[in-house]
Amino acid sequence: MSAVGIALVAFVAVTAVATVLVRDVLSAIIIFGAYSLGMALFYTLLLAPDVGLTEAAIGAGVTTILLLVTIAKTTRPIGDRVLASINWPAAVVVGVLAVLIGSTVPYIPTDNFTGGLTPVIANPNVTGYYLEMTYADTGVTNAVTAVLAAYRGFDTFGEAVVVFAAGVAVLVVLHTEVFS
Amino acid sequence: MSVDPDRPYTESLIIMTAVRMVAPFVLTYGLFITFHGADSPGGGFQGGALVGVVVLMLAFAFGARPTREWIGNDVITGLAAGGVVVFVGVGLVAIGLGGAFLEYGRLEPLLGPDAVKWGMEAIEIGGVAAIVASVIMGLFFLTAAGFDRGDGS
Repeated sequence: MSAVGIALVAFVAVTAVATVLVRDVLSAIIIFGAYSLGMALFYTLLLAPDVGLTEAAIGAGVTTILLLVTIAKTTRPIGDRVLASINWPAAVVVGVLAVLIGSTVPYIPTDNFTGGLTPVIANPNVTGYYLEMTYADTGVTNAVTAVLAAYRGFDTFGEAVVVFAAGVAVLVVLHTEVFS
Repeated sequence: MSVDPDRPYTESLIIMTAVRMVAPFVLTYGLFITFHGADSPGGGFQGGALVGVVVLMLAFAFGARPTREWIGNDVITGLAAGGVVVFVGVGLVAIGLGGAFLEYGRLEPLLGPDAVKWGMEAIEIGGVAAIVASVIMGLFFLTAAGFDRGDGS
């Protein structure tokens, strides 16, 4: 992995831990926004610009704003302690999980981190077919869009309806029938 | 840290000026991502999110209530429901023309030889982008208004 990649991983790790440890919710939200921005850059570095765009818009943008609006009506914690107290049993469990998942990382093919063309994919036949046949099948050049809208159109339909249902669910919870 | 979300931040000249300068570019970028998603990174979801974020930015700079009244409930519900209708509609028209649900190739009599591409554009732009943009705006306005709607709930 390049120096930029290592720096981004370190940045994401530091901001993720800081989000948990900082006691002030406003600070935690801002740091969480920085974490999302780091993840967006990292996805772009890993040649996933579609995911990076989503992370930047939803993670860094919308989530941050929604959380800020939510805490606007709360109060800040009294006192000047910067860090929250750590729940050690939970921290140990999380640490063990992190080590377990991290131990699988060396077994991921890493060719595309180093500029090679072998993609990290679970089922190369299906993915290879998409990459090869997208233009002939659908007439668009962005394979991600082709998979979303054409090959997996019904899944995307379900996802779009889930987003719609989320809006309806919030209306129901708030006992209102209008968004504005 | 107790900010009334309905109060416009009229005193913050910096935020208002910054949003006024940035918003047209973000809107253009969002529309580009939406309409050019077939041939470059992005698509309806990302572009719709960016267009929704423009409205959130305006609300942050000029106050949630004026922005909410400017957008209006009809636009938000219309986009959300209309997006689902467009998505279902494209799928059902394909069935009506003898194909499977969302089988864009069957739309050729309506959309011409590039029916698959135009069918995908239709559900990305008219479906996904509209749903995502409107639900983001709606969630923001609902959260900003909170429970104080005066209806005793």
